[in-house]
Amino acid sequence: MVVSPVLQVCDLQVSFMMQKRAYPVLRELSYNLLPGRILAVVGESGSGKTVHALSLLGLLPPAAHVSRGKILYRDTDLLTMPRARLRDVRGSKISMIFQDPSASLNPVLTVGEQLIETLRAHKPMSKQQAREEAVRLLEKVGIADAPARLSAYPFEFSGGMCQRVMIAMALALSPDILIADEPTTALDVTIQAQILHLIRELQQKEKMAVIFITHNLALASEIADEVLVLYGGLCMEQAPAKDLFEDPHHPYTKGLLASLVSMDRRVERLPAIAGQPPMAGEITKGCPFASRCPQAQEKCRQQLPPLTQQGIRMVRCFEEKTL
Amino acid sequence: MNAAIEIQHLYKTYSRGQWFGGGHETPVLKDVSLVLPANRVLGLVGESGCGKSTLCKVLLGIEKPTSGTVLVENQNVAKISKTQFKNLRRVMQVVYQDPYSSLDPRMTVRQLLSEPLDIHGLYPQKTARTKFLKELLSAVGLAPNYLERYPHEFSGGQRQRISIARALTLDPKILIADEPVSALDVSVQAQILNLLRDISRARKLAMLFVTHDFAVARFLCDDIAVMYQGRIVEKAPAQELFTHPLHPYTRMLLAAVPQVGKKMRGASTPAAACGPNTEGACSFASRCPQAGSACRQTQLQEITPQHWCACSHLPEGENK
Ligand SMILES: Nc1ncnc2c1ncn2[C@@H]1O[C@H](COP(=O)(O)OP(=O)(O)OP(=O)(O)O)[C@@H](O)[C@H]1O
Ligand SMILES: Nc1ncnc2c1ncn2[C@@H]1O[C@H](COP(=O)(O)OP(=O)(O)OP(=O)(O)O)[C@@H](O)[C@H]1O
Ligand SMILES: [Mg+2]
Ligand SMILES: [Mg+2]
Repeated sequence: MVVSPVLQVCDLQVSFMMQKRAYPVLRELSYNLLPGRILAVVGESGSGKTVHALSLLGLLPPAAHVSRGKILYRDTDLLTMPRARLRDVRGSKISMIFQDPSASLNPVLTVGEQLIETLRAHKPMSKQQAREEAVRLLEKVGIADAPARLSAYPFEFSGGMCQRVMIAMALALSPDILIADEPTTALDVTIQAQILHLIRELQQKEKMAVIFITHNLALASEIADEVLVLYGGLCMEQAPAKDLFEDPHHPYTKGLLASLVSMDRRVERLPAIAGQPPMAGEITKGCPFASRCPQAQEKCRQQLPPLTQQGIRMVRCFEEKTL
Repeated sequence: MNAAIEIQHLYKTYSRGQWFGGGHETPVLKDVSLVLPANRVLGLVGESGCGKSTLCKVLLGIEKPTSGTVLVENQNVAKISKTQFKNLRRVMQVVYQDPYSSLDPRMTVRQLLSEPLDIHGLYPQKTARTKFLKELLSAVGLAPNYLERYPHEFSGGQRQRISIARALTLDPKILIADEPVSALDVSVQAQILNLLRDISRARKLAMLFVTHDFAVARFLCDDIAVMYQGRIVEKAPAQELFTHPLHPYTRMLLAAVPQVGKKMRGASTPAAACGPNTEGACSFASRCPQAGSACRQTQLQEITPQHWCACSHLPEGENK
């Protein structure tokens, strides 16, 4: 049986206007997302993860625009969809958990009011039903004493609690696609595990597809089916999670895995990838990773390597897999 | 041992005024006693919402304690004058989690780093100041010519280096770091952690390092305190805590750490507490795999030398 993707991203490019010039911060991004699958997007701070997510929903900041490509949601292009339809899709079919929860919760409404409003905007239910549902949702994301907490304002919640309210809101409407931008950075591991189970449950029962943005490789390895590694706005490697973590091909992916902090032993120094990522708007001619890459050659600085198929994975590197 | 910070029986309750609809009290910190020794790194680990940031705010004088005392360099924070407090803030600096909102976007790096110097009237002479600021930037691994740039031109990791540089301008003795690396990706995180370790050693800093990441705590911290719902439930030297975790919550946390190559298991960790707890009971009781929900053991006891735990349900063989 052929399952058709819920989301197809084709050659997406997003640019920022800086000093009257357009700088691409995301280039040549293509992937398919099947229903019920979890795609993890990992990569360095500033690599374009959030910009990518915002572009899917038409929520880019004013200085940015999609300068090329298509984003197909079940065969309709989100980029050319009328604003009102897009808003509708965004509310009920594609939900997003934002990286910065304090910016996406309304500070003057109580947590309960916001949850109830979201629920009632998309589902026919009475105030009382919505209230009960809101309590149930807060309990699901592990907020103690949920009925009493409905009347609290966001500033009375800790960072991690706000993050969980956002998660509850995004999951409230059982969307087709969940875009989760660093959804668990502020949470401890037991609550994180609880949230992941919640996402898993919806993914398995309702065939919800998930784009899981994270810089936590261990987390990506546990939850994702497929992983896409971004660097400097470009996809460097994309592969099934198991293959990527057991046998990374791209030098950047290797460097990332080597920088993991080990739990099992205490080390004197953490291995880190030397050097700094490119500054915003800095576009190099060649591979953006070349200046930090232990295997870089002259060619890498002159010319951008194409994304090529290597077995079941895609890799952007001139160097064929090295050992 | 010389204490940089000493916290004694600290309680903090947030109360909401009547005008917000019926006075409402949220007890957040409950009987917290901790010592941060000079020249050591103390890790504070605990679940989201347990009160870690609140504790930092009380230490920094941003929130007033409800009761209990906080001694910073042997001075009672609640009882000192404004000038003494200003001096204390010079000794004690903070680095926050979010490298985005903690730096004013309208100020250049030079202005950001100069602000604390101006307040304390240090390096008034321009060339001397520039020289100092450039040295500071190199100390945190940034190019000296970044002085005239704005925060938005930097990546998250670079911004966090700027925050650290800013915290170091006044040559503090104590650094409070509230999840300084949680928002950073692994390779940048590794750089910042190495930097914090080098700096804390080179400058003989005492550091309170808040994190929910055990791997990070293991790398950086000499001692670790585990907090659950506003109480310290376990504290021990880092090595000891990792090899002999005692409290059921600590053990649950350690078991839930995601690891590369480990696939998610079924629902293994009991869900976080939902209902209110039995009065006087241990707040972890409702999630505890060992205790009944009315377990009342909440006092820290020294189980083995320097290893304190607030629980009587110890793993086999660890009983005194
Ligand atoms: N409002 C803006 N104006 C100019 N450049 C921006 C703006 N927002 C983002 N950028 C740039 O776009 C690039 C991609 O940023 P993005 O926020 O997508 O990174 P990210 O991968 O989500 O990083 P992080 O892990 O830190 O969240 C960065 O170089 C960033 O500096
Ligand atoms: N201004 C406030 N008014 C009322 N309650 C508050 C206020 N600030 C925090 N709280 C409550 O205090 C508790 C502890 O919050 P705190 O921010 O200290 O947690 P935290 O341990 O830092 O969590 P996180 O890891 O999510 O940052 C939470 O239950 C929160 O709701
Ligand atoms: Mg982001
Ligand atoms: Mg906090």
